[in-house]
Amino acid sequence: MPSSSFLTDISLNHYLILSSVLFVIGMAGVLLRRNVIVILMSLELMLNAVNISFIAFSKFTQNVDGQIMVFFVMTIAAAEAAVGLALAVAIFKRFKEVNIKFFEHLRG
Amino acid sequence: MTPDVFLFWFLALLIVGSGLAVLLFTNPVYSALSLAMTMVGVAAIFITLNAYFIAGVQLIVYAGAVMVLFVMVIMLFDIKSEVQAFTSGKISGAMKLIAVGLLSGLIVGGIIMGQKSFVGELSKDAAAQVAEANSAKMKRAAGADAATKELGVALFTKHIFGFEALGVLLTAIAVGTVALARSRGGTHAK
Amino acid sequence: MGHDSFEITINCIKLVLIFLMMVQAVPILVWVERRGSAFIQNRFGPNRVGPLGLLQLLADAVKFLTKEDFAPDRAIRPLFYAAPVFALIPATLAFAAIPMSVPLEIGEYVFKIQGYDMNVGIVFILGVSSLAAYTILMAGWGSASKFSLLGALRASAQVISYELALGLSIVGVILLFGTFNLTEMVIAQQGPLTFRAFGHTISSQFLPNWGIFYQPLAAVIFFAATFAESNRLPFDLAEGEAEIVAGFHTEYGGFKMLMFFIGEYGHMMLGSALMIIFFFGGYGIPGVTVADVRQWAAGITDSATQISVITTLVHFLSFMLKFVLFLWIFIWVRWTLPRFRYDQLMDLGWKTMLPWALGNTILTALVIYLIS
Repeated sequence: MPSSSFLTDISLNHYLILSSVLFVIGMAGVLLRRNVIVILMSLELMLNAVNISFIAFSKFTQNVDGQIMVFFVMTIAAAEAAVGLALAVAIFKRFKEVNIKFFEHLRG
Repeated sequence: MTPDVFLFWFLALLIVGSGLAVLLFTNPVYSALSLAMTMVGVAAIFITLNAYFIAGVQLIVYAGAVMVLFVMVIMLFDIKSEVQAFTSGKISGAMKLIAVGLLSGLIVGGIIMGQKSFVGELSKDAAAQVAEANSAKMKRAAGADAATKELGVALFTKHIFGFEALGVLLTAIAVGTVALARSRGGTHAK
Repeated sequence: MGHDSFEITINCIKLVLIFLMMVQAVPILVWVERRGSAFIQNRFGPNRVGPLGLLQLLADAVKFLTKEDFAPDRAIRPLFYAAPVFALIPATLAFAAIPMSVPLEIGEYVFKIQGYDMNVGIVFILGVSSLAAYTILMAGWGSASKFSLLGALRASAQVISYELALGLSIVGVILLFGTFNLTEMVIAQQGPLTFRAFGHTISSQFLPNWGIFYQPLAAVIFFAATFAESNRLPFDLAEGEAEIVAGFHTEYGGFKMLMFFIGEYGHMMLGSALMIIFFFGGYGIPGVTVADVRQWAAGITDSATQISVITTLVHFLSFMLKFVLFLWIFIWVRWTLPRFRYDQLMDLGWKTMLPWALGNTILTALVIYLIS
């Protein structure tokens, strides 16, 4: 049972727990969903969770490096989304569905 | 209950709620819109953490560009509710759920047990540091965007290699994406 | 937000006033647009209801409010009804960050004539207004109509494409003034035009120190991109009677349609306000500094509060004058220029405006590096 100080004093722990909860939701999405596009969205969710903890650490240690890492993560995420969506479009053109099971045809 | 605390709990609820909605909606359009909501919430969390510039970039890049791309692709495909939205195997599904549960327990437990270690020390000093940061913020208000300037200086001096490497990566990604999108074998090939 | 209840109350009222100002400007703009188009294209504008057709606005409002509230049979209700509401949010949030006059000083209180002052104002405005693409997509998808969906995809693709040119054209301005803060930009543009290079200072006699004299190319690109961002002619490819009827708002009528209207006009107002702040000196008056105005006001009255009120009002008038001028240019362009074709629109955005904006950025950076 959370004490009242847990509710009223926002510390680094709160941001870390929020970040981990979001990360776990994203991971559940990646494992459980079958739609490629939803899986990609869940990946974005996980990356966002990591960003929250980066920014929280950056604030509580007064260090700007964490924000730089978030920059890099955002760039990678945008690139990943572009490639992932291109793959999804290619799969959709072929099979008229974006279920993850069709990706095994990528073996060639 | 100060405004800051209220804001944190409100945003945390918004983020977790819309994050869960991404997972649970069977219609991908709703999933994508919930994810956009999550992105906006995360940007607001960044503002409460004094990372104003990053919050703006989060809005522009994620909410403004990446998620719009997702929504557009879903609408072009015209994917309505899926027949098989979730994983089908009962045993493998249970295994996956157990894995997720174990991981979440591990992380939260680790954070709570870690009170005495590195994280704990940080959060103990947090009150003093917040006071310090507030006084720094007062100074910053006079000198406008010193924090953003600091960010830029760090990006272009200390982290210049990462920056350049990302440039190369983005070029490769752009070429690769165009190549994928123009590939044969689609509905247009006869 | 404020330190005591008086300051907080005034600041809250201010936010509401800014929103009301934006919403109330729309009927007037609609009237100006109709009368203006009538004069430009030699046709009849509203001239029956009231003097100069001014009461037509009231009649319109009554008509909008009393129309039947309907949705298409197959529409996805939550999205269909949420889209018009969301259409108001981005423009309103962004417009509240625009500084409209010098701060008002009453006693020890200082009230800024803007909703909120942020040190990263430009990034915030760009970020918030980029959310506008969602309302378009939600409306298009929610209507369950082919025309709506195609129009929405067109419009949002256009908004995303021109955001790049828009953002890049501002980078030159940011480099020039060295700040993201809109108020500081306005302050930097006061006084006569002055170039400082290699230890020499060249000062002009009568030209004001406005951004357009330093960044003419950025001004042109920015202005053109704002037309595309607000989906207005010559870039209103989201609509087209022959191809896709009325685009994403084909299925909307009555009050819901009006909300989209307010959103579009809000983007127009945001575009003009930003144009003024970046390139035309904001609330500054050419040839006169804020200190001059304050001195002039001191000659009229002794009370410090009244001096501050007069100074603020004079600068607010100056801002409004420029604002109205740019809004008129928006309307003027709409009724004089022909439309683009969709491929021409994309070519212009990606192959012309983006490279030029990029070149402008590099050139500005080089010049600033060489001079300093």
